[in-house]
Amino acid sequence: MKENVILSFEDLDIRFSLRGQVLNAIRGVSLDVYRGESLAIVGESGSGKSVFTKSAIGLLDANGTIAGGHIWYNDKDLVTFRTEKEWLTIRGKEIAMVMQDPMTSLNPLIPVGDQILEAVVLHQGLRGAAAKRAAVEALRAVGIQEPERRYKQYPHEFSGGMRQRVVIAIAIACRPKILICDEPTTALDVTIQAQILDLIKELQQKLELTTIYITHDLGVVANVADRIAVMYAGDFVEVGRCEEVFYDPRHPYTWALLSSLPQLGVKGENLYSIRGTPPNLFYAVKGDAFAPRNPWALKIDYLKRPPYFQVSETHKARTWLLDPRAPKVDPPEHIRQLREKGGGRYA
Amino acid sequence: MVIFRRRADELGDKLNAKLEQELDMETLLAQEGEEKLFSFAEFSSEASEKGGYSNYSYWRSTVRAFLRNKTAMFFLFLMAATLIFSLIQPFLPGQKDALLIHNGEYGLPLNNIPPGKEFWFGTNAIGQDLWARIWAGTRTSLFIGFTVAFVEAVVGILVGVLWGYVRKLDFLFTELYNVLDNIPQTLLLILLSYIMRPGVSTIIFAMSLTGWLGMARFIRNQIIIIRDRDYNLASRCLGVPTGRIIFRNLLPYLVSVITLRMALAIPGAIGGEVFVTYIGIGLPVSIPSLGNLLQTGRSVMQMASLRYQMFFPAILLAVITVSFYIIGNSFADAADPKSHVN
Amino acid sequence: MPEKREKLVEVQNLTVTFGPRRRAFKAVDDVSFDIYKGETFGLVGESGSGKTTIGRAIIRVNPVAGGVVKYRGEVISGRVSRETDQRVIRNIQMVFQDPISSLNERAKVDYIVSEGLASIHKHMPEAERKERVAKALQDVGLLPEFASRFPHEFSGGQRQRIGIARALIMEPEFVIADEPISALDVSIRAQVLNLMSALQKERGLTYLFIAHDLSVVRFISDRIAVIYQGKLMELADSEQLFAHPLHPYTRALLSAIPMPDPVTERKKKLLVYDPAQNKYPANDPPLWEELEPGHFVRGSQREMDEYRKMLL
Repeated sequence: MKENVILSFEDLDIRFSLRGQVLNAIRGVSLDVYRGESLAIVGESGSGKSVFTKSAIGLLDANGTIAGGHIWYNDKDLVTFRTEKEWLTIRGKEIAMVMQDPMTSLNPLIPVGDQILEAVVLHQGLRGAAAKRAAVEALRAVGIQEPERRYKQYPHEFSGGMRQRVVIAIAIACRPKILICDEPTTALDVTIQAQILDLIKELQQKLELTTIYITHDLGVVANVADRIAVMYAGDFVEVGRCEEVFYDPRHPYTWALLSSLPQLGVKGENLYSIRGTPPNLFYAVKGDAFAPRNPWALKIDYLKRPPYFQVSETHKARTWLLDPRAPKVDPPEHIRQLREKGGGRYA
Repeated sequence: MVIFRRRADELGDKLNAKLEQELDMETLLAQEGEEKLFSFAEFSSEASEKGGYSNYSYWRSTVRAFLRNKTAMFFLFLMAATLIFSLIQPFLPGQKDALLIHNGEYGLPLNNIPPGKEFWFGTNAIGQDLWARIWAGTRTSLFIGFTVAFVEAVVGILVGVLWGYVRKLDFLFTELYNVLDNIPQTLLLILLSYIMRPGVSTIIFAMSLTGWLGMARFIRNQIIIIRDRDYNLASRCLGVPTGRIIFRNLLPYLVSVITLRMALAIPGAIGGEVFVTYIGIGLPVSIPSLGNLLQTGRSVMQMASLRYQMFFPAILLAVITVSFYIIGNSFADAADPKSHVN
Repeated sequence: MPEKREKLVEVQNLTVTFGPRRRAFKAVDDVSFDIYKGETFGLVGESGSGKTTIGRAIIRVNPVAGGVVKYRGEVISGRVSRETDQRVIRNIQMVFQDPISSLNERAKVDYIVSEGLASIHKHMPEAERKERVAKALQDVGLLPEFASRFPHEFSGGQRQRIGIARALIMEPEFVIADEPISALDVSIRAQVLNLMSALQKERGLTYLFIAHDLSVVRFISDRIAVIYQGKLMELADSEQLFAHPLHPYTRALLSAIPMPDPVTERKKKLLVYDPAQNKYPANDPPLWEELEPGHFVRGSQREMDEYRKMLL
C-alpha cells in the first residue's frame, strides 16, 4: 500500500442475489482513499455507491457477497473478515458512518447524552464524570447550544438538523480515522444542509479525519470535497480532483449530472436532462453501461467496456470519447461555461 | 466460511452463464473496422427507458415464498389430511356410529375396552366407539372453528374498516367497543347457555357475539396507520368513492395480517369450545366434540389403563392448533414483501 | 400587468389548525395570495412551514379553520355542494412528493393511472379507458406497455411520471405539485421539471409548485412566495425576488443554494436566519406591504424603511 493511502479498494466485485437472480452491484472497482482527504462518491440511487462504502464496514445486506477483490486498511484485508467481532475492531472505532436519516440512527428511548456517553465509554475508555464531560464536549463540538441542558433530552425534542449533529457527535466520539457520510443532508432543509456540511468540514480539519461523502447531488459537494469519484452502474466512470471534475469533466455522464442541476437552469428553456432510466443490473452489462442513455455513444460503447484514460495525473475517465481514434465532441453549453469559469486552467 | 465461498461461486456461475464475453480489442478492430467502431451509435429513447423491468408480482412472490417453507408445507399437508379424513371418515367401510352403544354377549355394554382390533381407539365409559367419536368430534370442532373465524373476520373487518377510515364514526365505535369489551366473555357464555338450548349453534352464536371485537380493533389500528399515506390522499383527490378506496387501497395491504389472525382464530374458537365444555356448559355428550371428549377423558385420567381416552383427543387438538398456528405465521411471513428478496 | 390577468385561485386569510380546539396548533396562519391563470406560483419554505398544508387545504384534503379558498370566484373551502366538490375533483389535481408512497403498490399501473376516470366519466367503455391510459403514459414519456406492471418495477423518476399521468388524465386546469422532485435523484429532477413545463405549455396548466429549495423554484415559477412557520414572509416575481431579496429569511434561503463551482462556493458566506431578529410586540403587529410592483414583504414599519433603502 502506498504510504499516504489509508483505505484501498482493489478490484472489488460485489454481488446480490435477489428473487432468484444475480445482481452485479459493484463490477471490479478500484479506488484509493488518501489520508486526511475529503472524497465525494457521486451517483444515482442504485448506482452502488452505498453498497461500495458499506462493504468497508461489513454492513452489506444479508443477500450480498463480496465475490472478489480486496479492501485494504492498515495492511489488513477487510474482505477476509467473517465474524462480527472482527468487524467491531473496524466499524465505529476506525471507520464511522453518518446515515441519511438521523432518526433511524438514534434510539428514541434514550437521552441523546447517554447515547454519546455509550460511545465515549466504549471507545475512549473513560469512566464516570470524565466520560460525561467528554460527552458534553462532543455535543458542544458539533455546535449544540447549552450542551449540559440538551444532554438530558430525547431525540424527538431535537429538530432534524440538530439530530444530525447528535449523530455526528456520536460518530466522532469514537475517535475514528475515517468518517463516511451517506447522504448526510438529503433529508434536511436547504439552509440546514449547508450548516451540516460546514460542520463536517470543520470537524474534518480539527480532528484530521478522512471523510467520504456519498451523494446523488454534485452541487452539494463543490464546497466540501477535495476529490470526486462519479459512480455509474457499479463502476467509477470519472475520478479527479474537485476542480478538475467541476471545471473540466470528461465523461458524458458527469456532463449530464452537472448540466441537469436546476440551479443552472434558465427560465423558459429546457434544462439539460439525462434521458431514460438507470440500467437494471440483473442484466449483465456489456460495453459501457451508460451507452443506452448517452447521446454521444459510439458503436464501440455497446461492444467493449472502455478503459480508464488518464486526463492528468489525478484525473481519469472511463469513456471511449477520450480515445485518440474517437471523433471530437463538444460538451453541452453549461460544461463549456464551467470550463470558462475554471479559466481553462484545468482543461 | 466454506458456505460463503460456495455461495459466491454459485452466484458467479449464474452470472457468467448470462455474460456474453466481450471480444478483445484486436478482434473487434478486425471485425468492425476502426472507423465504424468509433462512429456515433443511434440513440433510442425506448431502449433508455427500459431499464427497470424485473417481472415482480406481489402475489406470485408470496405464494412462492410460502411454498418454499418446508415446515409450513408439512403442516399444511397434515392439516388438509386431517380435514379431509374427518369429512370422509363416516363413509368409509367398517366404520362404527359415534353414538351407538356397543353391547356384549349378555347385553352388557362393552365399556372402557382398551384400543384393539375391534375398537381401534377403544371405547368410552358407556361403550361408544372412541375412533368414531374422535372424528365426529373433530368435525364438530372444526366446523365451530371455521364458522366462528369466518363471522369474526367478516364482522371484524367490516366494523374495523369503518371505524378506522370514517373519522366521524370513530367516537361511536370506540365507545361501543369499550362497553362490549368490558363484558367478560365467560359470563356471557354461561348466561347464554342457560337461556338457549345447548348445541353447536348456541356455541357459535355465543362466541361470535364478542369474538369480532379484537379483530375490529386490530383492523382499525392498521387502517389508521395506512389511511393517510399519499396514495390514499391521491385517490381522494381523484374522487374515488370510499368503498373502492377500502377494497383497492387498504384491504390488499392487510391481507397478510388478516390471514394470520384468521388462522389463529380457528384454533382459538376450538379452544374456546373445549373450555366451555370443560366447565360443563358446552355441548352435551350426544354431540361429540373435542371439548367433551377431553372432558370425559380427563375424568378417567387417574386410572392409567384408561388414559387413552384423554390421550387421543388431545393429540388431535394439538395437531389442529399447531398446524393452524404455523401455517398462519408462515403465510404472514411470506406475504411480507421483505421476504421476497430471495 | 398582473391586474388584468384572470385570477384562478384566491387564497384569503387562510388559517389551518391541527389538534384539539383548545390547544390547536396553527400550521397556516392568515395567509393570502392569488394564483393567476396559466402561471406557476412557487411556494417555498422549510419542512413544517405549512406549505404542504396550504396545498392540501386548497384541494379540500385538510379542513380550513379560517378564511376561504376560491376557485374561479367560487368558494371551495368548508362545506360545499356536491357539484362544487365534483368541480374541484375535475379541475384541481395533485402531484405528490414521495414517488414510493404515492402509488398503490398492490395495483397495476393501468388501475392507478385510470383511477380517477370513473369519477368524472361514469360508464366509460373499457376500450376507451385503455386507450386513455396508453395515451396518458405516452404523454409523460413512458411506454404504453408499462400499464400491465406493478409500481415496484419502476425507478423513482418513472414512478413520479406515473403520478403525473394519473393527475393529468383528469385534464385538470390547476395542478398542485407538492415537492414533486425533492425525493428524486438530481439526475432525474431535470427530466421531471422539463416534462412539467412542457405539459404546462401544451395544456395551459396553472401550477402551484411547492418546494423547499429556491433554486428549483426559480427555474419553473413566475412568482414565488416564501413561507416561514405558517406565515408568508415575502412574495414577488421570481426574478425580482432573486434580484432584490428583502426579508432576511429569503436571503438565508438564497445563500444556501449550493452552486456547482468549487472556487466561489468555498468563498461563500452562509447566512443563517434567526427568527428572534423579527419579533413583533403584540400591540404593533407586522405589516404586509407592496414595496415595488408585485413585491410584498412582511415586517414592521422600521423594517419596511430598511427594505425600501435596499431597493434603491
